[in-house]
Amino acid sequence: MAEEKEFQPVIVGFFCNWCTATAADLAGTLRMQYPANIRPIRTMCSGSVDPVYVLRALLGGADGVIVGGCTPGDCHYVSGNYKARRRMAILKTMLKTLGIEDDRVWIRWISAAEGAKFARTMREVTESIKKLGPNPLREDWSI
Amino acid sequence: MERYATLPVENGVLGAIRQFLAGLLEKKLVDALLVPLELPTGENVVPTIVSRPEQVQRANPLAPVLPVNAARLVSRVTLVSSSPERLGVVLRSCELRALVELVKLKQASLDKLLLIGIDCFGTYSVNDYEKSVKESASSTEDFLNRAREGKEDPLLRKACQICEYPVPMGADLTIGLLGVDLAKGILLVAGTPEGEKVIEEMGLEEAKAGERQPAVEKLTAERARKREEVLKQVQEEVKGLDKMMATLATCINCHNCKTACPLCYCKECFFDSPVFEFEAEKYLGWAKRKGALRMPNDTLLFHLTRLNHMVVACVGCGLCTEACPNDVPVFDIFRLVGYEVQKVFDYVPGRSLDEELPLTTFREEELPNIGV
Amino acid sequence: MAKSEAVLVIGAGVAGIKASLDLAEAGYTVYLCERKPSIGGAVVQMDRWFPDNHCSLCQMLPTLNRDLSSQFCLRRGLVHPGVELLFNTEVTGLQGEAGDFRAELSTRSTGVDASLCIGCGLCTEACPVEVESQFDEGLGRKKAIDVPNPYASPRRYAIDWEKCTRCGECVGKCPTQAIQLEPKESTMQLQVGAIILSTGFEEFDPRMATQYGYRRYPNVITSIELERILSPGGPSGGELVRSSDGKTPASIAFLQCIGSRDRGRDYCSSACCMFAVKEAALIRKTWPDTDVHIFFMDLRTFGKGYYRYYEHARDELGVHFTRCRVPVVKEDPQTHNIMLTVAADGGLPVRRQFEMAVLSVGQTPAPEFGELCQVLGVETNRWGFCQTRPFSLTETSQDGIYVCGSAAGPKDITDTVVEAGAAAGEATRWLSSPPARPAAEKPAETPSEEEAPQVVVFLCGCGDEIASALDLESVAGYIGQLPGMVHVEQVPYLCSDEALEAVAKGAKEHKGNRLVLGGCGLCVNKYINDKFATEAGLMPEKIRVVNLREDVVWVHRDQPDAALAKTRSLLNMAIEDARQQDYPPVSLTAVTPGALVIGGGIAGMTAALSIARHDIEVHLVEKSPELGGNLKDLYSTLESGDTRPLLKDTLEQVSSNSNIHLHLESEVVATSGYAGDFRVSIKKKDDTTDVLEVGAVIVATGGDEYRPEEYLYGQSQKVLTQRELEKRLASGEIDPSGLSSVVMIQCVGSREKDRPYCSRVCCSEAIKNALKLKEVNPGIEVAVLHRDVMSYGFKEQYYTLAREKGVQFIRYGLDSKPEVKEEGERLITELIEPVLGGKLVLEPDLVVLSTGIIPNDNPALAGILEVETDEDGFFREAEEKFRSTDFLREGIYVCGLAQSPRGIEETIAQAQAAAGRAVSLLTSKHLKAGRMVSEVVQRLCRKCEMCITVCPYDARARDEETNEIVVREALCQGCGACVVACPSGAAKMRGFRDKQVFSLIDAVFQ
Repeated sequence: MAEEKEFQPVIVGFFCNWCTATAADLAGTLRMQYPANIRPIRTMCSGSVDPVYVLRALLGGADGVIVGGCTPGDCHYVSGNYKARRRMAILKTMLKTLGIEDDRVWIRWISAAEGAKFARTMREVTESIKKLGPNPLREDWSI
Repeated sequence: MERYATLPVENGVLGAIRQFLAGLLEKKLVDALLVPLELPTGENVVPTIVSRPEQVQRANPLAPVLPVNAARLVSRVTLVSSSPERLGVVLRSCELRALVELVKLKQASLDKLLLIGIDCFGTYSVNDYEKSVKESASSTEDFLNRAREGKEDPLLRKACQICEYPVPMGADLTIGLLGVDLAKGILLVAGTPEGEKVIEEMGLEEAKAGERQPAVEKLTAERARKREEVLKQVQEEVKGLDKMMATLATCINCHNCKTACPLCYCKECFFDSPVFEFEAEKYLGWAKRKGALRMPNDTLLFHLTRLNHMVVACVGCGLCTEACPNDVPVFDIFRLVGYEVQKVFDYVPGRSLDEELPLTTFREEELPNIGV
Repeated sequence: MAKSEAVLVIGAGVAGIKASLDLAEAGYTVYLCERKPSIGGAVVQMDRWFPDNHCSLCQMLPTLNRDLSSQFCLRRGLVHPGVELLFNTEVTGLQGEAGDFRAELSTRSTGVDASLCIGCGLCTEACPVEVESQFDEGLGRKKAIDVPNPYASPRRYAIDWEKCTRCGECVGKCPTQAIQLEPKESTMQLQVGAIILSTGFEEFDPRMATQYGYRRYPNVITSIELERILSPGGPSGGELVRSSDGKTPASIAFLQCIGSRDRGRDYCSSACCMFAVKEAALIRKTWPDTDVHIFFMDLRTFGKGYYRYYEHARDELGVHFTRCRVPVVKEDPQTHNIMLTVAADGGLPVRRQFEMAVLSVGQTPAPEFGELCQVLGVETNRWGFCQTRPFSLTETSQDGIYVCGSAAGPKDITDTVVEAGAAAGEATRWLSSPPARPAAEKPAETPSEEEAPQVVVFLCGCGDEIASALDLESVAGYIGQLPGMVHVEQVPYLCSDEALEAVAKGAKEHKGNRLVLGGCGLCVNKYINDKFATEAGLMPEKIRVVNLREDVVWVHRDQPDAALAKTRSLLNMAIEDARQQDYPPVSLTAVTPGALVIGGGIAGMTAALSIARHDIEVHLVEKSPELGGNLKDLYSTLESGDTRPLLKDTLEQVSSNSNIHLHLESEVVATSGYAGDFRVSIKKKDDTTDVLEVGAVIVATGGDEYRPEEYLYGQSQKVLTQRELEKRLASGEIDPSGLSSVVMIQCVGSREKDRPYCSRVCCSEAIKNALKLKEVNPGIEVAVLHRDVMSYGFKEQYYTLAREKGVQFIRYGLDSKPEVKEEGERLITELIEPVLGGKLVLEPDLVVLSTGIIPNDNPALAGILEVETDEDGFFREAEEKFRSTDFLREGIYVCGLAQSPRGIEETIAQAQAAAGRAVSLLTSKHLKAGRMVSEVVQRLCRKCEMCITVCPYDARARDEETNEIVVREALCQGCGACVVACPSGAAKMRGFRDKQVFSLIDAVFQ
C-alpha cells in the first residue's frame, strides 16, 4: 500500500533585493540544502511589500508567506524595513485577533551575508507550516 | 487649563443650547454653524450649515441619532479650501476624533473652525430614533433624563454602549452635561484660548467644574467594562476562519461600509479600481483551482485590507454596521481589531493632532517580536 | 595637456570602489585594477561597522542615474558601464605626465577562463589540495582552486598558483575545459589622465611581536579574525567560539595598539579602538554572558558619533575598559586560557585569566606598496605609506597621481570614503571632459504600446548540472502551453557566446518580445548586466532569469519531486511577470548648471574653487563681511605647518576666479525645488532678496569655538584658550621665554554630558602649541591635562616628540576634573593624579583651555534647506560612513565643521569630496530616471501626502501650481514606500504594480 504522500506546503516569499534575495543566492552558491517549498518573489525592499500582497497570497491558498528584509537599521532605502515592521505588526495582530492563523505569516531579517540563516529559516518556516497543515483557504471557495 | 461657564437653562436644556448657538451667530463669533437640525417633519435630524440665528431654533445636537459622522461633512466643506469665515461645528466625540484623524490625513482643515463638542450619552439607529420621536413628543429630553440616571438603554447602538470617550477631546468648547446639575445650568467648558474668548465675549457667568470629572470617569469606566464584555463576546462570534466566513456570509461587496466610514477617504476604493478588474479567464481559472468561486469574490480580502488600511485610525463610531444592508457586523470586527492594533502603537485615534499617524513613522527599538 | 578622460584607480577596496563610482557617475572612464581576483578589500570581510552596527556598503551605489550601475549588495560585485574591472592586475610601469599618462599593466591569469567557466565548482570538489582561506583570515579552509570571495557573483574561480601542485585533477573534471594549469602573464597599456592610488593597508602580523603568543596559543586571535568568527558567513557560521575547544569563551580580553604606537611604528592606526569597541559591543549584545575587557592606552573616539558609541558600550552593554598596555600574553597549557598581567589605575599589577584574547592589530603598508610607489614615482613616508603634500590628504608628490584611504596612512572607513571622494574630485582637474553620458544622449524610448506579450523561453542544461537533476523535457512541455508562450528551447550552456546568438536569433524568429531564461547565476550577469546582451537587442527589462541551478538544483538535492514542482512554479511566475511588464518611457530631468556654496571659510572656498574649475558658475554666500572663517584665527597645523599662505592663496584664487560670485553679508532665507533645479533666496546686507537658480547646494557653514565658563576663563587674565594662545604667540604678545610654566587643560566643553562628542582637533592644537613653547623656551614646563590624547594617525609622532621634549601629559578623569583657582597673583591648578592617586598642585603662569568645537545655528538653516541636524546640532549626513558628504535630500552636500569637528586638512578633503559630488550632478545635462520609479494615478489621488511623508528621498512633492502630487522621477529610488503608504492605489511602482504582483502571486498556484 502506498504511503500517503507527505503534505508539501506552498510558501510565498517576498524577499528584499538587497539582503534576503542575496542571502538566497549565497545559500545557493554554497549549496546549502533547504526545502523546495518556497516560491520567492524579489522585491526592492521589505517596505514595498504591501500587506495586501501577503493577504492575496494567503487567501489565494499559500500555506505560508514569509517576508525577508534587512536587519533593522540596514535598509538600503534608509527606513523601509522599519515601516515594514509596523505594517506586519498590524497585519499579524489583525490575523491573530480574528483567528486567521497569523502563524502562517512570517517576517525575518536576513542580511546579504547570511546564506546559512536563509537556509535555516527556510527549513524552519517549512517545518512549522507543515505542522500547521494545509491552509484551509486553499480549498475554500467561499471567501 | 480648562475654564468653565454656565449656560442658563430657563428654557430647558435644549433651549439653552439653542440660545447659546444663536448667540454665537448674533454676536458674530461665528459666521455659520454646522449642527444637526430637526427636519420639518420632526421625524429626524440632519446635519445642516446654518447661517441665520433664527434657524438655530430647530437645532438639536442632543437628539440621540447619528445619521452621518459629521467629520465627513467637515472634510467635504474644507477639503478643497479651508473655510473663509468662522465656522462653528458641533460634534460628538467620535465625530471630533474622526475629524482630527482626517486633518492628519490632510482631508480637512481646522482653519477658522470653532470646534464645539458635546457630551455624548450615545445614539440610536436612525430607525430607532424615528420610532422614539413618534412615541414621545419630548423624546430628546426623555432620552437625556434616562441616560443621566444611568439606566441601561437597549436601543443604544452597540458602538455607543462600549464607547469609552463620551467627552470630546480637543474641542474649543464643550457643552458639558455629565456630572452637572442641569436644573441650574449647562456647563460650558473652554479647552482652548479660542473657547475662552467665546465665554468672555458672550459674557457668560464663570463656573466651577464641580462633579464633572468624577461623573466622566465613572461613565468611562462603565463603558470600558462594557467594552471588554462585548469584545469578548464578539471575539467568540467572529474568531476563527469558519466564524469569520459565517459573519461575512451575507456581504455583497456593496462597499456601503466604506462609504459610511468617516475615515475611508479614498476617492475611489482600491477594490473598485482597475487593479480588481480581471479578465474572464482569471475568474474561471480561480473557480477551476478551487472547484468553485463565490461571487462577488474577494469579500474577505476587501474587509481584511480595509482593516489593514484604516483600523489603526478607527474611532469606533459604528456607522459601518449601520450602513450595511445585510446586517454584517462590520463595526464589531473593526472595534475588536482596532482595540488590539491601536494598543500595539499606544495610539488613540483623535487624541491629539500632534501624534503622528502610526504608519508614517517608526521607532528604531520597537516590536521585538516582529522579525528576528 | 589633458588628453584623456580616463582614470586608473589602483586597488578595489572601499576607497577604490568609491573613487571609481564617483568618477564613473560623473561620466569619466575608469579602469579599476585589483591585485586580487575579487573586489572589496578588507570591508567585505566585515559585516557590521561602528558607530551604528549597521552594514551599509550598498549606500555607495549611485542614487542619480542609478540604473547604470548594479543594484545589489556590493559584496557580490560591481557593474557599471563606466568602470572596467581588471582583476589579478598590477601596474608595472608608468610614462608620461599628468593629463597624459601611459600605464603598463600586467595581468596574471587565474587559471580559469572566465568566458568558459560556468561556476559549477566541480574543480574545487576535485582538488586534493587544502589551503587556508585568506578571506577567513586562515581560520577556514578552502582548496587550491576555489572562489576567493564567497559572496562574489558571478563566482570567479581562481587557482592559488603557490599552493597548486599541478596535479591536474580539476582539469579533467571541468565540463567546459576552462582550466589551464600554468599561469599566463599578459600586459596592456592604458592611456589615462590621472591615477588614484587606493591600495589600502596590510594588517600588522602579530607574529612579529612574539610576546603576544599569536599562533603559539590557539586562543589568541587578531581583531580581523574575530570579525570573521562573528560573521554569519565565516568559518564558525557566526558562532563565537575559541579555537582550542570550540567553546564560547566566558571572557575575552582585547589588547589594543598591537603593531601601533610602538618604537617601530610611531603612529596610531586610528581605527582599532573603535573596531574593538564595536566587536565588544556586538559580543555583549549577542552573548551577554561573555565578559569583555578592553585594555587600551588612550581610547581614540575622535570621529562623529564615536564617543557616544563608546559610552553606550561601556554604560549600557557593560564592556569593561581598563587603561593599561599589556606587555605580554601567557597561556595556561592545561586550559589554554590566557594569562595577562594588568595594572589598572592606582593598582598593583594583577594576574588575570581570560578564555580568549583578541589582538587589535594595526595597519601597515602592504609589502608590495613601496615597489608600486617607485613605479609611479611617488614618495613614501618613513613608514612606507604614501606621502601627501601639505594641507592635502590626497595629493602625492606627483602631479596627476592621487592617493586615498589607508595607502596614505592608517584610517577608518569614514575618512577613507571622504578621501576617495576628494581624490576623485581632484583627479578630474587633469582629465579632459568626458563625452556626453548615455543619460544625456539616449533619447527616451517610446513605449511599445499594446504590444501583445509573446514569451520565448530558453532552458539551460548547464552541461549536466541542471539537466541531470531536472526533467527539462517535461518542464518544457508544461510551460509550452502556458498563455503567451511562443517558443521553448533547450540549450547546453546559456552562458556561451553561441547560446547568446541562438537566443537573439530564436527570439527574433518567433517574434518574441519577452524572454525568460532558466539558467544559473551567471545568466543574470550575462543577460541582464552584460552590455553585450543589450547590444544584441535584448532589453534587460524584458528579460527574466530563473536561477534553476542555485535556487533549485543545488539546494534541493534530495527532493526531486518538490524541486520539479518549484521549477514549474518559478518559470510560470517568471513568464507571468514578463508578460505583465509594460515599458513607459524613462524620463529625463534637465539640470540647471550653477552651484550655491553656503559659507566662506576654507571648506566653502575650497568647494567653490573645485566646482568653478569645471567652468560652472558658483555663488559663494558668506554671512560675515569677509571670507576666511575660522582659518583667519589659525596660524599653523601640526602636520602641514604655516596656514597663512594657504589662506592668502585661497583668497586670491577665489577673488580672481570669474566663475565665483561673492555674496558677502548675505544669508540664505528660503529654498524651493529639488536636485538639479533649486531656487534659493538670498537676503543681502541691504535687506533686499536675490533669487538664485542653481542645480546643487553645498553647506559649508563651519562651526564655532566653545566659549568656556569654567576654569576661571574670563575672570583671570592668565586663563586663555588655545586659539588665543596661538594668536598671542604669533603676534609676539606672549613670549615663551618669559614663562616658566604652562598648564593646558583638554576636553573643555567636549566629551561631557552636554556635548558627548570629541572635538577631534584640540589634542593636536595642544601638542602643537606645547611644541611651540618648547621650541622657543626649552626650559618651560608644560603640563597637558587630558582624558585621552587623540593623536590619531601620524599625529602620534608629535605626541611622542612632545613627550621627548619634556611636555608632561597628565591624565584626569571626568569625575575628578582639575581645579583652577586664583590666590592673589598666583594661579593654582590642582588635580588628582590617577596613576598614583595623589593630589598634584601646579602653579603655572598660564592656564590654556583646549576648548571644543560647537555647531553654529544649524537647525535654522537645516529647516530652510529641509535637511536634518543630528543630536549635537551638526548637520546629519545621508549615512555615516559611505555618504558623509551627502544629504538624503539629493543635490545638497555638506562639508567641514558644519558636519562634524575636523582639522583643516580633513575639512579641505571633505570640501573637495562634496564639490566632486556636486560637479557630477551639475555636469550632467539631464538626470535619467530609473526604470522602476513610482507614479501617481491622479484620478485616484486624495492628496493625503502620506507618500510624501514616507519618501526618504524628497522624490514626491505637491506641485505648487497644479496642487497635484508629483514624482520627481530622477530622485525616486524605487523603494516602494509610497505605494504601500497609499491606501487608494494612486501610488504605483512601475514594473511592480499591484496588478502585476497579483498576477505573480496567482502564478504561484497554477
